[in-house]
Amino acid sequence: MHMADALLAPQVAATMYAASGVVVGISAKALRNDEKKEKLPVMAVTAALVFAGQMINYTIPGTGSSGHLCGGMLLSALLGPQAGFLSMVVILAIQCLFFADGGLLALGANCWNMAFYGCFIGYYLIWKPIMHSHLCAEKKNTDRIKIALASILGCVLTLQMGAFSVVLETSASGITELPFAAFVGIMLPIHLAIGLVEGLITAAVLLFVYEARPELLTGLSGGAEKTKSRCSLKTTIAILAAAVVIVGGGLSLFASGNPDGLEWSMFGNSEAGYRENMGLDEENYGVSSEAARVSGEIQEKTAFLPDYAFRGSDSTAGTSVSGLVGSAIVAGAAVLMCVAGGFFRKKRRSCKSTE
Amino acid sequence: MDQLSRAQAELREMDALAAGTSVVHRLHPLCKLFVTVTYIFIVVSFHKYDLSGLIVMILYPVILFQLAGIPVHVCFYKLRVVLPLVCAVGLANPFFDHVPLAQIGNLVITGGVISMITLMLKGCLALMASFLLVATTPVDALCGALRRLHVPAVLTTLFLLIYRYIGVMMGEAAVMAQAYSLRAPGQKGIHISAWGSFLGQLLLRSMDRAQELYQSMVLRGFRGEFYYMDIPACGADSVLFMLISICLLLCARLVNIAQLIGNLFVR
Amino acid sequence: MTRQLRCEVKKLIEFQNVSFSYDSKTPVLQKINLTIKKGETVGLIGANGAGKSTIMKLIPGLLHGEGTILVDGLPVARTNLPVIRQKTGYVLQDSDNQMFMPTVFEDLMFGLRNYGLSREAAEARVDEVLDQLGLQELKYRHNHKLSGGEKKMAAIATVLAMRPEVILMDEPSATLDPVNRRMVIRTIQALPQTKLIASHDLDMILETCDRVILLSHGKIAADGDCKTILSDGALLEQNRMELPLCMQTPGR
Repeated sequence: MHMADALLAPQVAATMYAASGVVVGISAKALRNDEKKEKLPVMAVTAALVFAGQMINYTIPGTGSSGHLCGGMLLSALLGPQAGFLSMVVILAIQCLFFADGGLLALGANCWNMAFYGCFIGYYLIWKPIMHSHLCAEKKNTDRIKIALASILGCVLTLQMGAFSVVLETSASGITELPFAAFVGIMLPIHLAIGLVEGLITAAVLLFVYEARPELLTGLSGGAEKTKSRCSLKTTIAILAAAVVIVGGGLSLFASGNPDGLEWSMFGNSEAGYRENMGLDEENYGVSSEAARVSGEIQEKTAFLPDYAFRGSDSTAGTSVSGLVGSAIVAGAAVLMCVAGGFFRKKRRSCKSTE
Repeated sequence: MDQLSRAQAELREMDALAAGTSVVHRLHPLCKLFVTVTYIFIVVSFHKYDLSGLIVMILYPVILFQLAGIPVHVCFYKLRVVLPLVCAVGLANPFFDHVPLAQIGNLVITGGVISMITLMLKGCLALMASFLLVATTPVDALCGALRRLHVPAVLTTLFLLIYRYIGVMMGEAAVMAQAYSLRAPGQKGIHISAWGSFLGQLLLRSMDRAQELYQSMVLRGFRGEFYYMDIPACGADSVLFMLISICLLLCARLVNIAQLIGNLFVR
Repeated sequence: MTRQLRCEVKKLIEFQNVSFSYDSKTPVLQKINLTIKKGETVGLIGANGAGKSTIMKLIPGLLHGEGTILVDGLPVARTNLPVIRQKTGYVLQDSDNQMFMPTVFEDLMFGLRNYGLSREAAEARVDEVLDQLGLQELKYRHNHKLSGGEKKMAAIATVLAMRPEVILMDEPSATLDPVNRRMVIRTIQALPQTKLIASHDLDMILETCDRVILLSHGKIAADGDCKTILSDGALLEQNRMELPLCMQTPGR
């Protein structure tokens, strides 16, 4: 589920950063009023635990495989959506920086796909409504059933949203040739199964907490925090609206600007479409066309050898051959540097040891 | 289970690397952050067929790895996490994209193959760059830099606290997992009957820990404000490094250097 | 006569009829009266759940009970808490919970900066404390990379940096190896401040304290000279403890 930097175009990455950034800002602000001081240590320790808990394998009965824990739902059920989101963001940042799970550029997208859906959608649209609903008449098991239902439903749904977003973002970036429908068809069923298992694990953990110390769970049906919750619901709607505008706007702008992008994947890829926008006119694919034009000029001026022309092929192939040779030289230089660096380091070390 | 101890070892390793004293380590964290982000942005912005343009970008991590004296294999070990998804997406390309781009003898290279290689290379390069950043910058310096960029204090403080407690909690979880496996030989993971109680127990204990942590903060006058180690002002060498690197990176993006070099040799 | 003598030395901590309970059903402390004078080192012993930690946590106002607690003449109440907390240093049993900043240096700075010391003054104070405990080499080390003994010493340093008048220690010798335990004992012995040490390690109490308070079921079962109480095998056994190792006759 963690997206890598390579799967995102810079524009899409920036859009997702902006969206997640807005949510971080709003959450941080909402938390400031919300006795942040007391919550900070709880957030830190719980998030660290969830981080560790995600590395524990839970065997799925009947199969040889194992499932993992869903962080977002668990954190928002324990800490509330804002605090849960911030904790999740930090978890994702640490995973990306120290464990190379995800990427620095993809962090914004990952926060959105995993933290935002899990914490905000999962909390306000699933956890809270279910907790406050009157699902069954029997008092005794009501809360337990509600917790189980909310956890499973929450994990499945938020994971589906996340998986769909991964497809959307990758397609909008024009990275994959996989048709949109096929990509969705692969991602969603896989994550349905994952979500189901994650939901069961989350439910088990939350039920245990409910038995032992129910006061730790947020949003349990109690009248006390009603006035407070209405206020935070408003902020959530505001967050949602802002986010939808940013993401939707950003993606659609980008998708229409780049024929390789979303639309393209959506409408399949015919041969004819390809001819139009494959890399034949490379100038159109620069940072901007102006820059590309300048670079083209520089290239022309500095190339004191004319374009090499392949017999029976067009000039693109010719340039790629000189590109190929150049690439090989660069790669060779890189390898040489590595070897030289290693040699000098060894030498220095041996010098030190003889001293 | 094993994953826990492996993760702990990885964290320790990163800490040890970040504690180095090379030229790269001494650069200002903010400058390193800027250059890294620029680098990844530029790498990702290359067109999917522009393999020859992208290849020049290899030089940046290679040079910095050598300057920082960090073994490359540590980084490549980490690639195992990210590459599967990238490969899964990339491998589809040759099947869907049959447009011939180049021809060497009778071998026709299609766009799909090029774009697959480009994608995988992008994945590796982006990862190497962020790895370099973290391997040469201590966490507190990084958080200090983020704070300078006006990232909310809650977030940076939380980052430091979580980072501090990840080791502790992983240790506790590992001990519990070991205790579990000692009494459940042959089981690969936690059995369904213990799904809730395993993490639940840890969770309750960590809540007590959080409370004690809060008390120890309050006893030392905590009022919601953290004081960070001030990161020193940006030195001239760091600024120079930043400017030169960003200029070089932009040049590499605008001019296909590999092609230029190739043109020198191929007539 | 003795009472008059005691009054001459400054009373630092005073409990007057202090009771405490978590859930109003099971009392943890019942009408505790005790006085700790300036310069005393007092051991707090008792079985698990006897109320040791509760007494410790009541002093800096982490818990609130019934009755009056005075620290240096000030009642423990909300308005006095900042002053009282500066006068009392609390060394937690689990140093990991005490050392939450990235490095030892920043952890020492944390409290000082919160109490409004300037950066320079705080740094000078940090160096002073590290020199005092011989911990200069730990200064820039990361907290999560310290060994158990180093962590405990650093935790003591974070408390000492605040220049407390009373130091509360919760199981300072627990989970330490013999060498580290010895180091902590020497450190405790060298500290001139008033100390209240809760522990099951009676040998350590014997070496460091001059007075012992024995708690049993939320009440003070004995209060007096350290050697007298710790050599009273019957009294200790009655309260679910046994003689310190060094007082046990060999071959028993």
